[in-house]
Amino acid sequence: MRDRVSLRPRKSGRRNHSVSENLTGYLFIFPSVLLITVFGIFPVFFTLYVSLHKWRIKRSRFIGLANYREMFGSPLYLLLVIAALLCIAFAIYLIGRARSNRKALRAGSGVIVLLIGAAAVAVFLPYLAEAGDQGMFASLRVTIWYSLGTVPVQLALGLLLASFLYRKIPAKQAFRVIFLLPYIVPSVASAAVFERLFSLKPESFANQVLALFGRPPAQWLLEPKGIFFLLSGQRMAVSSQSVIGNYWLGWGQGPSLALLSIIFFNCWVFVGYYALIYTNGLSNIPRQLYEAAEVDGAGKLTVFFRITLPLLTPTTYFLTLIGIIGTFKAFAHIYVLRHPAARGEVDPMSVQIFFTFFRKSRFGYAAALSLLLFAIVLILTLVQRRIMRERIHYG
Amino acid sequence: MVKERSPWLKALLLLLLILGAFVSIIPFLFMVSHSLKTIAETITRSSAIPFDPKFWPQVPQWSNYRVAWQEARFGLYFRNSVIITAVTVGGVVITSCLSAYAFAKLRFAGRDLIFAILLSTLMIPQTVLLIPNFLIIAKLGWIDRLPALTVPFLASAFHIFLLRQFFSQIPNELIEVAKIDGATHLRSLISIVVPLSKAPIFTVVFLSFIYTWNALQWPLVVTQTPRWRPITVGLSVFITEAGPETHLRMAGAVIAVLPVIALYFVAQRQFTEAITRSGLKE
Repeated sequence: MRDRVSLRPRKSGRRNHSVSENLTGYLFIFPSVLLITVFGIFPVFFTLYVSLHKWRIKRSRFIGLANYREMFGSPLYLLLVIAALLCIAFAIYLIGRARSNRKALRAGSGVIVLLIGAAAVAVFLPYLAEAGDQGMFASLRVTIWYSLGTVPVQLALGLLLASFLYRKIPAKQAFRVIFLLPYIVPSVASAAVFERLFSLKPESFANQVLALFGRPPAQWLLEPKGIFFLLSGQRMAVSSQSVIGNYWLGWGQGPSLALLSIIFFNCWVFVGYYALIYTNGLSNIPRQLYEAAEVDGAGKLTVFFRITLPLLTPTTYFLTLIGIIGTFKAFAHIYVLRHPAARGEVDPMSVQIFFTFFRKSRFGYAAALSLLLFAIVLILTLVQRRIMRERIHYG
Repeated sequence: MVKERSPWLKALLLLLLILGAFVSIIPFLFMVSHSLKTIAETITRSSAIPFDPKFWPQVPQWSNYRVAWQEARFGLYFRNSVIITAVTVGGVVITSCLSAYAFAKLRFAGRDLIFAILLSTLMIPQTVLLIPNFLIIAKLGWIDRLPALTVPFLASAFHIFLLRQFFSQIPNELIEVAKIDGATHLRSLISIVVPLSKAPIFTVVFLSFIYTWNALQWPLVVTQTPRWRPITVGLSVFITEAGPETHLRMAGAVIAVLPVIALYFVAQRQFTEAITRSGLKE
């Protein structure tokens, strides 16, 4: 609005300045536009071009969609899984709508669609993973475990810290500075420390903590086995005759202990950042609301769940998205913390792509993988925007 | 917010905060203490709890830093990082100010469309750009040279966006008046808009400083020899290729974090402000 009002007087003189103003404008944006076009926009199309070729350092020949076929194996299972996922998305939409309209019938049909979608994913995904690129599906699983292990913890601890920091406490600024420290330093350097703290030596920090509980030292960053599997005393079934059983047993073992160590690192880095953003969100909540609630005699918990949390929803969505996309992009600390002994059980998609490109020199295939990553990140971003737009009036 | 009623609760809260702060800084203490140990101490006399005397060196080995700086070449890497960061930050500030001014204050054909296209590039993950950009840089013959590490980052859609937000709030009348006095747009950008926009420009400086100084993936790909390796790459190569020389690794890590921490402590508030505004880091 302000823009439009203040632009008005300029319009009268526009004719005189039009040519020179046009020229100045283009001149001013030229460096940025040139650089962003060459290194930011053109590469997207170039990646697509590379992904359609057999390309090992040098371009060899056009192979059409063969790289994508290698990724997914059979197009049939891919389509089935996509259909199932769409089914789930539609069901979630239905249930969400029904909840706001209080329509039992619609909710019921939503639940049924959800169950059908989930069952279809449960059946078809294993076949897709079996036919497709094992490494890629493993990295996708790592990425999902990584998101599940980091984002909720960071949200909870970040909010907790923020609600502490929001009160009147001594040395508030000092606490803020310290909590943000892990976030701003190069993660290569801090990961170098964690590589020691989570080493397999009995005197390492992680093993000393285990010793406090009377447990024997663990392999930590070198342990490719899943944590649920380890907690079960390695007695959990690991394979089965059927493709479906085999696949879901793989999930059932949980994230590897090596990945768990990296999850700890990630939380250490990001909790301060989450707290900072939450503190900002808290200070945007109008004080009158709290005063009104106090007048009405609402308890602290009621205030938290009825006022604070709903009004922080936009912040929570934002942080969730940043967190999930972050796990898809995670690189530097994993590059330092990954150990050959962990056998790739810590590599999310970004790292998998990097090694396909950098170590195996399979440029074409890595380009195809990176476009899949792009598609996932894009969908997540669009979904997030959609939710934000629908929910924004709550917050 | 809600007033604190019980002093006990407040004490508990403070205790938890102190514990949290402790968790945040233990790794940094570990970094410093182990960078001052002998190699034998890092193996036989090591602990991860600062209250344990074994956490600290018996005699601080300051010479570790000389070895790290010279033999492990962290001096060279540090110098490279300083140059790369200075060039990138300087370039980003200049290109972003110019573009933000044009998008906020000038009228030219296709302005909003171009701006929208630039903004849409923010959704593209770096991983997608890695391979094509590597091929472009290789084609230009820039592998292992300074431009490979700086030129692709001399413009940033995000920073243009950030500055444009602020620039459009500056009243146009100020620029109109300057124009009547015969000032060009470049002049009014430099002498009117920039002085009024110190805070957002600081934000751009801090964010691009951290981003450039901390970057690993791209520099790892385009440097094949130590010649232009930044400190992050130097450190990661040292970790993955050298022996288990914890004391030198930690000295390298201290060298890598020191400039960031120094700048952070000098300008805490601006830094916190900048990060609150960013919301855009991997």
